[in-house]
Amino acid sequence: MEKAMKLQHVKHHEGKRGILSVTTFIIMTLVSLATMFPLFWLFSSSLKDISEIFVNPPMWVPKVFHWENFTELFVNRKFGIITWNSFLLATTSTVVALVFCSLAGFAFAKYHFKGKNFLFIMVLASLMIPHEATMVPLFSIYKGMGLIDNIWGVILPDLANAFGIFFMRQYCSALPEEMLEAARIDGCTEFKLFRRIVLPNLKSGFAGLGIILFVKQWNNFLWPSVILRSQENMTLSVALKALEDSNNTPYHLIMAGSVISVVPLLIIVLIFQKQLIAGMIEGAVKG
Amino acid sequence: MTSRLNKQLKIAPYIYISPYFILFFVFSLYPILYSIYISFTDWNGSGEKTFIGFENYVQLFGDKNFWLSLWNSSIIFLMYVPLMLFLGLIFASMLNSNWMVGKGFFRMALFVPNFVSVVAVSFVFVLLLNTQNGLFNSVLRNIGLIDNPIPWLESPWWARISVSIMVLYRWLGYNMLLLMTGLQNISKDLYEAAYVDGATKIKSFFFITIPLVKKMLLFCTVLSTIGTFSLFTEPFILTQGGPLNSTLTPVLMLYTESFQNFNFGYASSIAVCFFILMMTISLIQMRVFDDKE
Repeated sequence: MEKAMKLQHVKHHEGKRGILSVTTFIIMTLVSLATMFPLFWLFSSSLKDISEIFVNPPMWVPKVFHWENFTELFVNRKFGIITWNSFLLATTSTVVALVFCSLAGFAFAKYHFKGKNFLFIMVLASLMIPHEATMVPLFSIYKGMGLIDNIWGVILPDLANAFGIFFMRQYCSALPEEMLEAARIDGCTEFKLFRRIVLPNLKSGFAGLGIILFVKQWNNFLWPSVILRSQENMTLSVALKALEDSNNTPYHLIMAGSVISVVPLLIIVLIFQKQLIAGMIEGAVKG
Repeated sequence: MTSRLNKQLKIAPYIYISPYFILFFVFSLYPILYSIYISFTDWNGSGEKTFIGFENYVQLFGDKNFWLSLWNSSIIFLMYVPLMLFLGLIFASMLNSNWMVGKGFFRMALFVPNFVSVVAVSFVFVLLLNTQNGLFNSVLRNIGLIDNPIPWLESPWWARISVSIMVLYRWLGYNMLLLMTGLQNISKDLYEAAYVDGATKIKSFFFITIPLVKKMLLFCTVLSTIGTFSLFTEPFILTQGGPLNSTLTPVLMLYTESFQNFNFGYASSIAVCFFILMMTISLIQMRVFDDKE
């Protein structure tokens, strides 16, 4: 009797689920539209003339698509080289950081050595040094090293990545001990072991960490804007801000430049979205 | 195993961790120590450094703007964090139900603002929030909700609200993702049982969901605290810290003092205080989440 009543309840519950799921679906659709709207406005504004940016009633879609905004950026404002700089910066810094992080992560996961615990605590503690707090001295050190207005000045500090070491250590810990031992018995040197056996087995770790680092570096703004001075050395984020003018800011060009900065990343992220989301969660929760 | 291999086994780990430690010493540890030294001097970045003891700190602690920057961050924190966590948890619960259609799409749609360039998004908000003919004011006026335009970026309180809206926009999806992982650990039977016992959806949300994701909520709060005190790009582009310094943040102040006013000594005292603040928050975080594993 009691069981029958419960079953009836659950059935009733299922009927209610229909209404609930429609409501939920509608709410989520509205929320998604709201989050996508600024991007729509970005794309729409990038094709407007400057005179059409601030008008009432608002112009939702430009009557004529002003593709010349993009031409202007590439022809007169060096956005070709600037886009290339962003790619170079994000790719180089990601690839090198992945190598360094996996080396250190592997060392901390699979070797026993003197001072290991102390050194690992140091890596942990280094997470507490905010990059912002080192900008002033770093700037004067850079003057001596000739790293001002140099893309390597952005790359170098980001290669020492404690978060990445934690991240890769997780993946290295999962490698089976027998696999490493077998290679050693076969006469593999330690470096060969890393290159031939370890690296190929860390692919999913590389994908997760790599996409996180790439996105971060692509959008990096504060430090690059401090040290990258001349137009041909700027990255997209820095160049966008540099387009601003106290009298007459060309918002149509800024929007077009933003599209150039947003689209490649959007494509890359859509391809690697699984890895990015998994990596973000893992990085936040475990790191 | 031969002794040659044994020796390698001993040396290899040190070689593997050396790139990290060399870079860490040169680009992080040495600068932060140097920063502490500079904070005791008067220095414009190129000339001689004059040792002045604690003078920078005395000046800093008497500087209205420094306290204002901390106050602004706290207000911005209160404006968006509770709302963000509340909405994040509701959306996470919605996406977590197993009958939800299009989960992957919605998850991505909410997450997109987080990885799109902050500079680009900030400039879009500059357009949207323009007082005279920004889209927000135009629409609000045309549908008759307001008579006079809202000074989104031109009055102290509205400017703080605008910065908060943008931060909320950028971080809602990220926090929702974290809360979703928290929710996935809650057994579905619990909700079914609660339902059989006569609990409404809303009751289940407050008495099952919230207590069981408490830890994740706390974690998100700590991350948001660090994030809010480190805010730079949003106020820098939206309001340049104004009006009347109402959106000045510690990092923005550090940037202005160092790279615009060239008070490197004074700026370093801000940097040291910022470092201590961040370290304290991180230590609290470690304490709280120590028993996690």
